[in-house]
Amino acid sequence: MSSPTTRPPGRPGTVGRVVHHRLFWPVVALVLLLLACGLRSPGFLTVSVQDGHLFGQLVDILRFSATPMLLGLGMALVIATGGIDLSVGAVMAISLAVSLTYLDASPTAGAVPTVAAAIGVALAVAVVIGTFNGFLVSVLGVQPFIATMILMVAGRGIAMLITQGQITTVTSEPFKFLGSGFVLGLPTPVVVAAVVLVLLVLLVRGSALGMLLESVGINREASRLAGVPSRRITWLVYVVAALLAGVAGIVYGAPTMAADANNIGLMKEMDAILCVVLGGTTLAGGKFYLGGTVVGALILSTIERAVVIFHVPSQITPLFKALVIIAVCVAQSPRLREMIRSGVPGRSGRAAGPPTPAPTPAPAPTVEKVL
Amino acid sequence: MATTTRSATPASRGAGAPPDGRTGALARAGAALSRAVQPRYLPVAGTLLTLVIMLAVGESRYGGERGFVSARLFSNLLLDNSYLLVLAVGMTFVILTGGIDLSVGAVVALVGLVVATLLPLGVPLPVVLVVGVLVGSTSGLLVGTLVHHFSIQPFIASLAAMFLARGLCNVVSVQSLAIKDEGFAALASWSLKLGEGRNMSKINLSMIVAVLVLLAAYAVLHHTRFGRTVYGVGVGDGGNAVQLMGLKGGRTVLWVYVISGTCAGVAGILFALYTKSGFNLTGIGMELDAIAAVVIGGTILTGGGGYVLGTGAGVLVYGLIQVLIAREGLDSWWTRVFIGVVLLAFVVLQRVITLRRR
Amino acid sequence: MSSTKAATTTPAVEMSGITITFPGVRALDGVDLTLRPGEVHALMGENGAGKSTLIKALTGVHTVDSGRIVVGGEEVRIGGPSDAQAAGIRTVYQEVNLCGNLSVAENVMLGHEPRKGPFIDRRAMRREAARYLARLGVDIDPVSSLSAHSIAVQQLCAIARATVVDPKVLVLDEPTSSLQRAEVEQLFDVVRGLRDSGVAVLFVSHFLDQVYEISDRMTVLRNGRLVGTYLTADLPRLELVSQMIGRSGDELAGLEEGARARARVAHDDDVPLVTAVGLGKDGRIEPFDLEMFPGEVVGLAGLLGSGRTELARLLTGADTPDTGSLSLDGSPVRLTDPLTALRAGIAFASEDRKKEGIIGDLTVRENIALAVQAVRGVWRPVPRRELDELVERYMAALGVHPADPDMLVRNLSGGNQQKVLLARWLATSPRLLVLDEPTRGIDVGAKAEIQKLVADLAADGMAVLFVSSELEEVLRVSQRVEVLRDRVIVEQIVNGPDVTPATVLASIARETPGPSPATPVPTGRARQNHGGTP
Repeated sequence: MSSPTTRPPGRPGTVGRVVHHRLFWPVVALVLLLLACGLRSPGFLTVSVQDGHLFGQLVDILRFSATPMLLGLGMALVIATGGIDLSVGAVMAISLAVSLTYLDASPTAGAVPTVAAAIGVALAVAVVIGTFNGFLVSVLGVQPFIATMILMVAGRGIAMLITQGQITTVTSEPFKFLGSGFVLGLPTPVVVAAVVLVLLVLLVRGSALGMLLESVGINREASRLAGVPSRRITWLVYVVAALLAGVAGIVYGAPTMAADANNIGLMKEMDAILCVVLGGTTLAGGKFYLGGTVVGALILSTIERAVVIFHVPSQITPLFKALVIIAVCVAQSPRLREMIRSGVPGRSGRAAGPPTPAPTPAPAPTVEKVL
Repeated sequence: MATTTRSATPASRGAGAPPDGRTGALARAGAALSRAVQPRYLPVAGTLLTLVIMLAVGESRYGGERGFVSARLFSNLLLDNSYLLVLAVGMTFVILTGGIDLSVGAVVALVGLVVATLLPLGVPLPVVLVVGVLVGSTSGLLVGTLVHHFSIQPFIASLAAMFLARGLCNVVSVQSLAIKDEGFAALASWSLKLGEGRNMSKINLSMIVAVLVLLAAYAVLHHTRFGRTVYGVGVGDGGNAVQLMGLKGGRTVLWVYVISGTCAGVAGILFALYTKSGFNLTGIGMELDAIAAVVIGGTILTGGGGYVLGTGAGVLVYGLIQVLIAREGLDSWWTRVFIGVVLLAFVVLQRVITLRRR
Repeated sequence: MSSTKAATTTPAVEMSGITITFPGVRALDGVDLTLRPGEVHALMGENGAGKSTLIKALTGVHTVDSGRIVVGGEEVRIGGPSDAQAAGIRTVYQEVNLCGNLSVAENVMLGHEPRKGPFIDRRAMRREAARYLARLGVDIDPVSSLSAHSIAVQQLCAIARATVVDPKVLVLDEPTSSLQRAEVEQLFDVVRGLRDSGVAVLFVSHFLDQVYEISDRMTVLRNGRLVGTYLTADLPRLELVSQMIGRSGDELAGLEEGARARARVAHDDDVPLVTAVGLGKDGRIEPFDLEMFPGEVVGLAGLLGSGRTELARLLTGADTPDTGSLSLDGSPVRLTDPLTALRAGIAFASEDRKKEGIIGDLTVRENIALAVQAVRGVWRPVPRRELDELVERYMAALGVHPADPDMLVRNLSGGNQQKVLLARWLATSPRLLVLDEPTRGIDVGAKAEIQKLVADLAADGMAVLFVSSELEEVLRVSQRVEVLRDRVIVEQIVNGPDVTPATVLASIARETPGPSPATPVPTGRARQNHGGTP
């Protein structure tokens, strides 16, 4: 479920090449990580079938990638418009708090319709939050970073208000199924994530949304003058991101069924951003890569798994993540490619080759680095 | 209320009319006034207004016979938020260039742990303090290098540094380390006492350091070539103009992060003095508090506009929110909600002003 | 100013064999350029000929792949703008590259401020800045924020900045494109003064008049190669133009005549395509009335800041009016945004190609498709085959070069970017096309092509509103000229054989009551227009 999806239907070969190039390093990193784990722990790469369900380390990695992937896909769209959504972690907490509080108050928490209603309410709240974010960004023109930071800061307070400062715990089999059940032998979160991915690819690349998103991200005013409804598109994207975060919150919290407003989704926005960046989408906006984001999510959860396999004390997971992130960012940096190409001593002012934005005369942020 | 005006003065000097504009003739006063209502001073004016309103609310609700607004209040505000002031000053430099530094909270935790680890090993106190600050500078240098030499976005570069610092924290210790060193304790407890009994207020080392950092930042930003270049880099085209003007815009960007990192190092030591311990989970979300203080203080998030003295006022507003919520007896999560609301108000104010200017 | 008169035998700058390659394009191929102290040297060429690239190699924005740069007899490596400045090369760019958030004085002096210890001596800085500005005849408050001033004044500040440290070489890249005639004169006086004190001036301009007025020698580039270096006095204009475009001058003249002849089509008394009644926006343009018929080209003439662009934006939904109404085919419409306008058949090509036109990181194909796609709506993508046909048709019709639809637009030259934009608007089959400065910064050949295109479009029944600073051009294409002054339409001139640029100029200049709020004239002198300066 990785690279094939990145090739959007009906795009030219050269763009395909660029996509391929963008994905090259992330995929290499993923494969190396998996191989390293496989060498270290021989059973790592085997997948077994028990009771018709798939089991194994790889399946676990898939399961754990579901949350960052759901968040990352929404984030990728937001980033494409030149924005960022820092509130997704808080939205996860709110969505879970809402659904569990609903179930808690209902006498029939174990019934499927009740669960469906709980999820419906939670996702509706997520949509409202996304609408608020989108309003700040697209109508008021507040910087996305700061607009969503407001909910990042205040959102957990709101989740606390919903659960009245308690850790709400309920028992509901259908709800739990969403987090720890299996569909067609695959863990439910994986299936949910895959369905979301397919729907999103259809939505974005099957329509003109993808191109218009990118054009808005690259040059908002020029897009507006070309008739692109940039305001509506930007708004939509925040709603989608919040909706996906709501889904992620439910999928993430379902196995434990405990709405711990302080900890659910903590720092997850960072993971989501990392998935997107690892997948080759730059934070400046413009071109985005959903397939790359999926690879990014897989890398992230593989790293977390690798830490366990290599018996690295789990406390240093962030250190490990940080080193990998810095390495990938530097590897993707146009400047490094340029240095390598021109031989280290040459201080060429330009990046050649199509894959990277060449910091030529355009007053892109990179130009200031042309020393 | 005399205290109010006194402590608001430094901010208003930076924000409002130039010092020489208010003397003499009516015309000059008028000119100064019209300059003061220029759009670019509006965010800072909003900061001061918020500060005054909050003080008034506090006075009316909790004033009583002892009075809410007092030297003691400000002493306590500074006492509790000196580390935040230092962080916010560093953040102001970064935001003025249009960047962001998310690593500062994690650096505060790391510095606290380094101090708490080195002191029991018998390393002399001055050396420990210098090493603590240098840990911050090094982290800033890393972020600056990633931003400047590798063209990595500030957001992501400082995020990576944040993870790195948190990771290093966990390597040092996952337990809270108490700092029992005598010299350190002496530094922490040293204070000047002003006034008597219930009106007593204190000036301690952290407050002095924080205020000195603020004043130094003011001098650098407004009266040196480097400071003006910082403003120039934030003009909104990624420092392109400054570069084409032949100035070392890129180098300025690098230095701005070193300054922010160094401030985080200093703040880490102040926080260690405040809590007398080091803990790896310290300072989660502290970077957001610092950013909020800067924004509330009237610095434009897109860069290029703002006043570091406004940041001082922003920190006071931030501290007051906490004080008021504690006095109301509300649960602590209300703080987050309130800060969110205030942040929203200021951000919208900034937008309205920028839109009107256009 | 201390004279730096070097021995005239050593060139101030000697660039030889300069080669620079961009992704997929060899921008410069072994170009030589020699600047002597005490000369004004013009660099000429079409868009995409490599002028900007050569200048940027000299000023350190681009580093050269191969070739030597010798400044004052010593070979230098120019790794960045600061290196260039250290070598005594100062530059004024076409687009103002200053910091709008700093004061005028800071912008002029930044990097060279008088200091007391580590601190800036602000009083001395203001004084110095005022002195440099006064030399250019600019009298503004040095403490005021730079962004409070018009682009022209900002440009003058940039020039003042360039003279702060006595330069050895002064590069002026299209410095006059936002200046009024009188300001150009002022600038030229300063340039002559610098030249006489031994500075080598490299001057780039599209205005042939100015080049012939100020330059001593000129170097001509074409397609990234050197055509030759000539004494200005020895090279007749026609010869220069044909050197630049690689075509004979007669051919060119014929093209222009053809365009003008065809533009004379009378319209009958049908229902007007567009009727604006009392349309206006506070602080931008006073309420105006305007009628346009199918097949008609209407020119807009007026000074910079007279409300030309603002009028165009109101007609096209780019801005929303405060007052008045707009009718299309006699029935009222409300254009709330560009999309509604495009749906109603009104397309607007902005004067700011880079900021309001191209989407740099998208391909030529996507850039052309953008408006059509927006009109169809997000959920109805243009089928691939239809899109390819569309793109191919317009790229061929407009002669976009290179003819690769998958190239990123930002790698094209300015003129070709403009053609891509025209293709974008034409692809929506508009009934009214509003062109704001469509030929600004474009070479002679492309200019003539665009003028001819306008005439052809009108002949096919399209209405065109043509906004330009060049009166000759406006008269060449339009049947009617609306003259703007101080945000008001003051006169309508019906084009005819006896209408000359002087006629329009007289209308623009008639009883101009001193400095107007729309065009702050810093020096207090009345502005006059000049064919060729916006």
